[in-house]
Parts: sequence; C-alpha cells; structure tokens
Amino acid sequence: MIQATEAIKVLLGIGEPLIGRLLTYDALGMRFREVKLRRDPKCPLCGEHPTITDLSIHRGAADACAVNDNGHAAPAEAPAATPRG
Amino acid sequence: MKTLKEMLAEARQVVPEQGPADLKKRIDAGEPLVLIDVRDPDEYRDGFIEPATNISRGFLEFRIGGAAADPTTPIVLYCQSGLRSMLASKVLKDLGYENVTNLQGGFQKWAQSGLPVVKDRPMNADQIQRYSRHFLLSQVGEKGQRKLLRSKVLLIGAGGLGSPTALYLAAAGVGTLGLMDGDVVDLSNLQRQILHSTPNVGRPKVESGTEMIRALNPDVNVIPLPTRITVDNVMDIIKDYDLVIDGSDNFDTRYLMNDACYLAGKTNVHGSIFQFEGMATVLAPNQGPCYRCLYPTPPPPGLVPS
Repeated sequence: MIQATEAIKVLLGIGEPLIGRLLTYDALGMRFREVKLRRDPKCPLCGEHPTITDLSIHRGAADACAVNDNGHAAPAEAPAATPRG
Repeated sequence: MKTLKEMLAEARQVVPEQGPADLKKRIDAGEPLVLIDVRDPDEYRDGFIEPATNISRGFLEFRIGGAAADPTTPIVLYCQSGLRSMLASKVLKDLGYENVTNLQGGFQKWAQSGLPVVKDRPMNADQIQRYSRHFLLSQVGEKGQRKLLRSKVLLIGAGGLGSPTALYLAAAGVGTLGLMDGDVVDLSNLQRQILHSTPNVGRPKVESGTEMIRALNPDVNVIPLPTRITVDNVMDIIKDYDLVIDGSDNFDTRYLMNDACYLAGKTNVHGSIFQFEGMATVLAPNQGPCYRCLYPTPPPPGLVPS
C-alpha cells in the first residue's frame, strides 16, 4: 500500500514522496522508522563521475563486482532488512 | 468608446508575453507556476497543455482565488490564439496579481510548435461514480483522476509486493498497468500474494493478475508481460511507462531496475520485505539518491537468503 500511495503521489505531483527517505517497517514491534538518505557524490551511477553509463555491468555474473574498483568500500553491513519480494 | 485593438494594446503594456518554448522550459524546470486555460470547457476537453487548470474567462474573477491564493504566485494564462487570455491577464493584474504572463499565440501556437498536448475523454456515468471519492479530495479531484487514467505504471513482480500495489493502483484508476512476472501461481504464494486465487494455481501470474485487475476495474488496460526483466529487455520495456514499481525478490533485479530507471530518467518506487520487516523509498533520478547511493554493490551471492 505504501508503494501504491507513493506512485499515485508521484504521478499527481502531490504531497511529499519518499524521495531521499527510507521508510522501514517492523511488523513485530509495529514500528515505522525513517532514515534520511543523501545522494553519494561518489556513486558509480548518479555521482559526479559516474562509471556506470550503460547496463553492460549487468551482462555476466563476473561483472557484478566491477564497481568495487571505484573506491567504494563494500557496505559495512548487508542491507538492513535483507529484503525479499 | 474603446476599440478592441486599444484594449489589447493597453493590456500588452502591463502583461508580459512568453512564447511556447519558454513556457515549456519553465514547466520542465518544475517552476511552481499556475497554468490556466481560460477557454470554454469544450475547447479545453479537445486538447490542453499539461498541467493547466480550466477556468473559463467568464468565471476567472470568481475562481482565481482557489487556484492562486497568493498574489505573488507566478501565473500563466492561455486561450486559443492568445487574445482572450491577454484581456484576462489584464484583469488579474487589476486584481493585484503581480506575476502574470500571457502565452503568446495561445494553444494554437503551442500545438503547432509540436509541443505535447493532452486530450481527455469525458468520464462516463460509471466512472464519475467509481471515482467520486477521489473528486472529494482537493489534491486529486477530477483533474487528478483524469491524469491517473492517462498514467502508465510498470509493475516488476506480481508477488508479495506487486499484488497489493497492483490492486490499489487498479482500484484508483491508473489507466495502464504493465504486469511483469515470469512465474506461475503456486499454492504457497496465496497466503500473501492477494492478486491470485486458488483456481489459478499453476497458471502464469500475469494471466491470473490480469483477470483479477480487469474484474476489479475494467477501466484499466493491463499489459501482461509473462517474462523476467533482463538486461536485454529492460530499456525497451520501461520506455513506455511513466513510473516503475520495483516489487522484485532478488538483488540482481533490484540493481538492474535501479540502473535502468536512472539511465532512462524514470522514477522507481522501491519496496522490499523480509519476514516481518519491510522498507520502501522513492528513487527519483537527479532529485534524490539512487539504490547504489545506499548500497553501492550487491551483497555477495549466498550471504542473503533469496
């Protein structure tokens, strides 16, 4: 429902969509948390000097680690919610 | 007695004019301007400039307060050829609006310049009733509903996340929903994937989902895409949509969708869930971070359950 609501807000240009904010939901504790997100100027995709300018990185599993050479340390921890669909 | 020519000349002295290309630039730059189409409703319905509100000339003084409460609001007026709106702009100036511009050449010149126009089909009686609760919300209204009906959303995954999202968007009257999933419905899906039902076990999820959505809202044009999104098909598929919903269940797809949406300039409404925890964010190219700003590289295979 959160994704649907956000989609409608973006389509209509109303309210404040979750741009630059990560909303996390813990069903057992029934808590929502909001984490502010910033653009990473060193981001290999949308940073100031992007190294990903097409989708070739997605061709072949061996390429999946190529961004590691970018001065990007691996994330300190795996994505918080180890997400699944 | 003044002639029309004199009145127009008087108006031109106080109202600046702007051509279609300049107006397009201001709209694209996201300037918070109020664009008003002062033609009659039947002219407006035949084609207008997004995101214009229709306040026909005769009602302008009565309704302008609802569209622009603050006298410093940037307002742009247009009519068919630019003359009616010039006189109307003068009236707004007289009312105290400081920042009023007239679209030079009007809708006609805009359309002739090859700039995009929007055309609405009038809503039928069923639609008026179906969406009546949206009309009560000032931020949506009939105008917003028509925009939703013209919108195209691509759903990546018709599973745990895609199911409720597809149903809510269909119910809300998003006019085109692309439903992409290469899986078939499994009995173990049904405890959470509410787009599918018991008789559809074993059938492709996009077939099952298409039927459910059409039953819920026949206004929705569902485009079933019974395949996985891949590096080879992603750009060609997303180009037709206004927005993408990522409800995928694996990191490869998440990174692929992030990269493809950024490169194509499409907003990606991201969501993921694991057991009792979930998260959501909106990845809007150049307006906020992308998924790689959060997690620069995918976790190594095997570290995370899939």
